[in-house]
Amino acid sequence: MPAYSTELPLRSDLNDTHEELAKRWATTGLWWSGAERLAIVEEVRSARDSEPLAPWESPSQVEGLIPDDNVLPSAAVDAIWRITNHPGTLTAEWHASIVGQGLDPEAYAELVGVVAQANAVDRFADALNLERVSLPEPSRLEPARSPDPSVQVSSHWVPTAQIKGPNVVKALSAVPFENESMQLLSSVQYVGLGDLLADLVSDQNSLSRMQVEVIAARTSKLNECFY
Amino acid sequence: MNQDAEVTFEAIDNSESGDGGVEHGALLSRLCEAIYNEDQNQLASIKDQVVESAGADVLVDAVAVSAHFYMMTRIADATGTPLDAGSVEPSIQIRELVGVNAFTSRREAQK
Repeated sequence: MPAYSTELPLRSDLNDTHEELAKRWATTGLWWSGAERLAIVEEVRSARDSEPLAPWESPSQVEGLIPDDNVLPSAAVDAIWRITNHPGTLTAEWHASIVGQGLDPEAYAELVGVVAQANAVDRFADALNLERVSLPEPSRLEPARSPDPSVQVSSHWVPTAQIKGPNVVKALSAVPFENESMQLLSSVQYVGLGDLLADLVSDQNSLSRMQVEVIAARTSKLNECFY
Repeated sequence: MNQDAEVTFEAIDNSESGDGGVEHGALLSRLCEAIYNEDQNQLASIKDQVVESAGADVLVDAVAVSAHFYMMTRIADATGTPLDAGSVEPSIQIRELVGVNAFTSRREAQK
């Protein structure tokens, strides 16, 4: 079943990839179960659809905002809302406070991956007035929750693997499944990351590469992202 | 789609300055602003303009690119991703021109 039903000329690779992303969200991760990963996506949607909170307000501390039976720990909920609605305000101190509440640094990296993907996929649907992609049944397998001794905190706040490539690709290298999802989206919504610097001139579907980069840079600036 | 040979950073800095040498640059910049602002009236108007000026396929592809950077910015900012070593020096002038040096993420990614 396609992710979207629309009269717009939606490319099939976009439709298929968003459908694939929903399946990947429902899959058991390294640190979060399928049900928890879907809860992360649902929390992104709650954060986007709720009345805005100031960056310093934690949704877990607002009475009645987060249901008592939420499957996610408070630190995860607070991180999801902050990353979704105030990415330009994130600091090293804030990150330390989140993992300091007992969220494993690698689990945090996986959470960032799912939150970021959900923001991209839902933002696309919302901007084109499409129904957001529906979420499948979660996998019942339990995650291993086993730290990888080969990943370390070196260049980023989060632990990363020793891989080559741009720092933004290295960012989620401790959770390769999320890095793969990021690259799947890049290949249909931006530029295949392998071609990022190798080919600076080819058109990307109906857009010239310069148009793509204007959109990318303008959006990054609006989101107050320095990288 | 084609663009002129000389490209500037006007359409990145804001949508009021011009196309910056990129075909429909200002219009695409306004589309990004409307997606960010989530003002349905503003967004509907800009989308109509994009379809009329450039076509529905350009609208879909442009929204896809913009939406993609709601992922990339969150990955970079939530993980403390520093600039790549090889791009620090070459991007000094660009960062100054597009006005990103004051962002929290500039300061924090170095920690």
